[in-house]
Amino acid sequence: MAGTKRVSIMQKNGFKIFLVAFFFVLTAYYLYPTIQWYFINSNLNSMTAEERSEYESENAAKINSVRERSLKLGLDLQGGMHATLEIRVDALIRALAVDTDDIFEEVLAEAQAAAFDSDVSAIDAFVNAFEERDPNALLSRYFRNEAAGITRRSSNDEVAAYLRTEADEAVLRAIEIIRDRVDRYGVTEPAIQRQGSRRVVVELPGVDDEERVRGLLRGTARLEFRLMAEPTDLTRALQRMIEFYETSEPDSVDADSLGNAAAEPDTTFDINALLEGDNAGSGNEFLDVFQPIGQGVIFGSAAVQDTARVNALLRRPGAKELLPPGVELMYTASPVGTTSDGREIFYLLGVRDTEEITGEVVTDARVEFDPFTNVPEVSMTMNSEGARTWARLTGANVGKSVAVVLDGVVYSYPVIQERISGGRTNITGLDSREEASDIVTVLKSGALPAPVEIVQERTVGPSLGARSIRSGLNSVLLGLVLVALFMMFYYRTGGAVANLALVLNLIFILGILSGFQATLTLPGIAGIVLTIGMAVDANVLIFERIREEQSTGKTLKAAIEGGYGKALSAIFDANITTFFVGVILYSFGLGPIQGFAVTLMAGILSSMFTAIVFTRIIFDYMIAERRMTVSFG
Amino acid sequence: MRIFENANYDLIGSRKIGYIISGVLLIVSLFSLVFNGLELGIDFRGGMEFIVELDEVHSATEIRSVLADVLDQEPEVKTFGSPNDLLIRTADTREMREVQALIVATIEQAFPGSNPEILKTDIVGPRFAKDLQQGAIYSILGSLLVIFVYILIRFEWRFGVGAVAALFHDVLITLGVFSLLRFIVPFSLQVDQTIIAAFLTIVGYSLNDTVVVFDRIREYTGLFKAEKYATVVNRSVNNTLSRTVITSGTTLIVVLILFIFGGEVLRGFAFALMVGIVIGTYSSVFVASPVVLALRQRTI
Repeated sequence: MAGTKRVSIMQKNGFKIFLVAFFFVLTAYYLYPTIQWYFINSNLNSMTAEERSEYESENAAKINSVRERSLKLGLDLQGGMHATLEIRVDALIRALAVDTDDIFEEVLAEAQAAAFDSDVSAIDAFVNAFEERDPNALLSRYFRNEAAGITRRSSNDEVAAYLRTEADEAVLRAIEIIRDRVDRYGVTEPAIQRQGSRRVVVELPGVDDEERVRGLLRGTARLEFRLMAEPTDLTRALQRMIEFYETSEPDSVDADSLGNAAAEPDTTFDINALLEGDNAGSGNEFLDVFQPIGQGVIFGSAAVQDTARVNALLRRPGAKELLPPGVELMYTASPVGTTSDGREIFYLLGVRDTEEITGEVVTDARVEFDPFTNVPEVSMTMNSEGARTWARLTGANVGKSVAVVLDGVVYSYPVIQERISGGRTNITGLDSREEASDIVTVLKSGALPAPVEIVQERTVGPSLGARSIRSGLNSVLLGLVLVALFMMFYYRTGGAVANLALVLNLIFILGILSGFQATLTLPGIAGIVLTIGMAVDANVLIFERIREEQSTGKTLKAAIEGGYGKALSAIFDANITTFFVGVILYSFGLGPIQGFAVTLMAGILSSMFTAIVFTRIIFDYMIAERRMTVSFG
Repeated sequence: MRIFENANYDLIGSRKIGYIISGVLLIVSLFSLVFNGLELGIDFRGGMEFIVELDEVHSATEIRSVLADVLDQEPEVKTFGSPNDLLIRTADTREMREVQALIVATIEQAFPGSNPEILKTDIVGPRFAKDLQQGAIYSILGSLLVIFVYILIRFEWRFGVGAVAALFHDVLITLGVFSLLRFIVPFSLQVDQTIIAAFLTIVGYSLNDTVVVFDRIREYTGLFKAEKYATVVNRSVNNTLSRTVITSGTTLIVVLILFIFGGEVLRGFAFALMVGIVIGTYSSVFVASPVVLALRQRTI
C-alpha cells in the first residue's frame, strides 16, 4: 500500500522534485566559491603577516580563482572608488583641426555651451553653431585630412561623420589606455566599461589613494621637450607686468579670481614670510598673489591656492601681450617650498610655446634611482628619429635650459651640459617613487587621445563599507526571524512550510547573484530584505485561498488543490509587473541601483518558484505520504 | 487566528470618504511640493559631499561655522547616523582634493583631538547630475507606461486607468510626505537615485496589491453575473482584504527593520518604502477599485 503510494507521489511530483533538486545543486555549485572565499579569508585573518604572505604566495592561483568566482561585493560594501570619466570632445575637435582661427574658437565655445544645456552631442552642437553663423561655409577648411578622405570640398555632413568616427575611436582607445594604466597600477578586479557615447565608468575596489588614481586616469601623458625663454626677455616682461598692475584698475568682474580671492583673504602674508620682499598691501593686485623672482628662466612663484588667480591676471587683455613673443608661463610639477602655514609654493617658468620633441618618440621608460642621492627618476629611451632630434637640440643649446613638460607642467629644466646622443634621457624633479612609477605607467600606456574629465566620483572607505555590511546583515536576519515567527503563528504548519520556502528562497537569490556574476550592493541587500517581506506574499495568497476553500467544506486535499490553482493568476500578475519595474530600474539606474534591481528580479523569480512549486511538494508529501493533518491556522 | 475572516465591510459604498481623504492628502502634497519643495541629493544637484568621522562629538553648527570661513559658500553640515559622523555638502568650485584637504585641516585646527577621518567622498559634475535626473524621469515614466500596457493586455482598459491612477496617487503622496517632513525629521530626506529606486518599488508594490484585487474582480465578474458591479467589486475587495493586510504587514515589518537597523545610508530609502507601502495598501482598496467602478458605471 505504502509502496504504491510512494510511486504515485514520486510520479506526480517527479519533475517538480527534480527541478528543486536541480536548482539547489546549481546554487550550491555557484555559491561554493563564495563559501570557500569566506573560509580562506577568515583563515588569512587569523595568521600572522609572515604566514599570510607565505600562504598567499603558495596558493596564489587557488586564491585568485576562488575570489574570481565568489559573490562580488559592491564598492559601497567593500570600499573603493567609482568614477565616471568623460572624453572632452571639444578638446578632440580642437586637436583634429588645422588652421584654426578666431571664428573656430568662438564656434567651439558656443557649441560647448549648447551641448551643456541640451541633449545634443558636442559634435552636433559644433556643426550647428558653425552652420548658424554662415550656412554656406564649409567645415572642411579646418579638418582637411587626406587619409580620412576629407578634402576642401567635403560637405559638412561628411566632416560631422568623420568627427563622430574619430570621437568614437577616441573613447575606445581611451578605454584601452585606462585599462592598461589601471592594470599597471595593480587593482584587484577593476571594472572598466563604456557608458553611452563618450563616458567610461571605472570601478576600482579597495583603492585608498584617490588622488594618485585620479592623476592616472586623467593624465594625458603629453610629454614634451621645450626650449626656454631668454632670461633677459623674461626679466623685462616681469618688470612690465608689475608696472601694468601698478597702474591698472582692479578688475571686479573676473569670476575666476573672485572665488579664490574671497576664500583666501589672508594668503598674502604667507608668501612674504617665506620669500624676500614685501609687496602685500601694496595695492598691486598682481603682487598680492605673486612673488616676482626674475632669475634665469624663473618668472616668479605663487602659492597653490593663488594659481588660478595668477593665471587669470596673466591672461587679462593688456597683460597677456607683455610676455615675450613665443613664450608661455608654466608651473613646476612639484612645490619648491611651503609657506609658513604649510601651503605649497610653485615656480612659474618661462617656456617656449613650441615643443621640440614629444612623447611619441619614447620607446621605453623605467624607474631608476640617482646613484648619489637615491632620488627616483624616470629614464626614457627614444627611437632613432627622437634620438637624432634630441642630439641636435642638445648640441645646439649647450649652456641653456631645456624644459621637460608633462601634461602642461614642468618636471625639470636642467641646463644642457653637452650634446646627448643615443636617445636616452631622464625626467628628474620627482617627489616620490610612486610618482616616478605613475609617470612610467602613463608614458608606456601612451597618451590619451583627448583629455578626460572626471564627471562623477565616489569613494567609500573600507570602514564605512564594513559598517554597511554589518547593518545590512543584521537587517536580513532580523527581518527573516520576525517574518518567520509571524507566519508560524498565523498559518501554523502552513506557515512553517512557507518559512522553509523562504530560507530556500534566500539561498536561491544568492545563487542567482553568483551565477550571473552580479554584484551585491547595499541597495541590493535592501532588496533582499524587501524580498523577505514580499516573498511570503505568494504563500499568503495561496493559504488565504486554501482557507476559503476549506470554509466551503472541501477536504484538505481538495482545498489545497483549489487554493494553489486559484491563487496562481493573481501571483503571476502581481509579480510580473514588479519584475518589469526591476528591468526598467536595471536599464536606467547606475551601479548600486542596478544591484537593487538585480536582487529584486532574482527575488521575484525565486520566491515564485519556492512558494508555488517547493511548498506544494512538501504539502503533497505530508498529506499523501505521511497522512498528516496540515493546519493553515 | 484569522483577521478579516468573512469580512463584509461596505468599503466601496464608503468610497466617498476615501475620495475625501485622498483628495486632502493630494492637495496637501501638491502644496508642500510647490512651496516646501524637495531636497535634491547630490546625484541630481551636483556638488561635493563628504562623510567625516570625528573622535569627539561636535555639533553640526560648530563645524559649519568653522568651514564657512574657508569654503566658497556656507556648506551644509548634518550629523550622519551617529553623532560622531558628519555629512558635509558644498558647492565649492575648487578641485575635490583641495576641498577635502581644506576641510580636514580646518576641522583639525579648530578642534584639536577631533582627528577627522573621511569615510566617503562623492562628487557629481553638473552635467552628469542633469543626465542622472533625466534617467530618473525616464525610468519613472517608462515604468508607468509598461505597467499600463501590461494591465491593458491582461485586464481591460478601465483596470489600466485604475492601476495607474493609484500609482500616481501613491508616488505623489509619498513625495509630498518627503517634502512636508524634510525640515522636521532628524534624518535626511533628500531625493537621490536610491529614493527613485524606492519610488519605483512602491509603484511595483502598490500594483502588486491592486492586481490581486483586480484579479478577484475579474474572477467574480464571471461568477456573479446577476449581481450589481458595485457589489462584485465590494466582495472582491473584502475577500482579498486579509491577504492585503497580511502581506503589507510582513513587508512593513522588514522595511521597519531596515529603517531602524539598516544604517544611515538606507534610512531615507526605508522611510520612502514605509510611507509607500501604507499609502499603496490604502490606495489598492480606496482608489484603484473605485476608479474601475466609476469608469464602468459611466460607460454602461
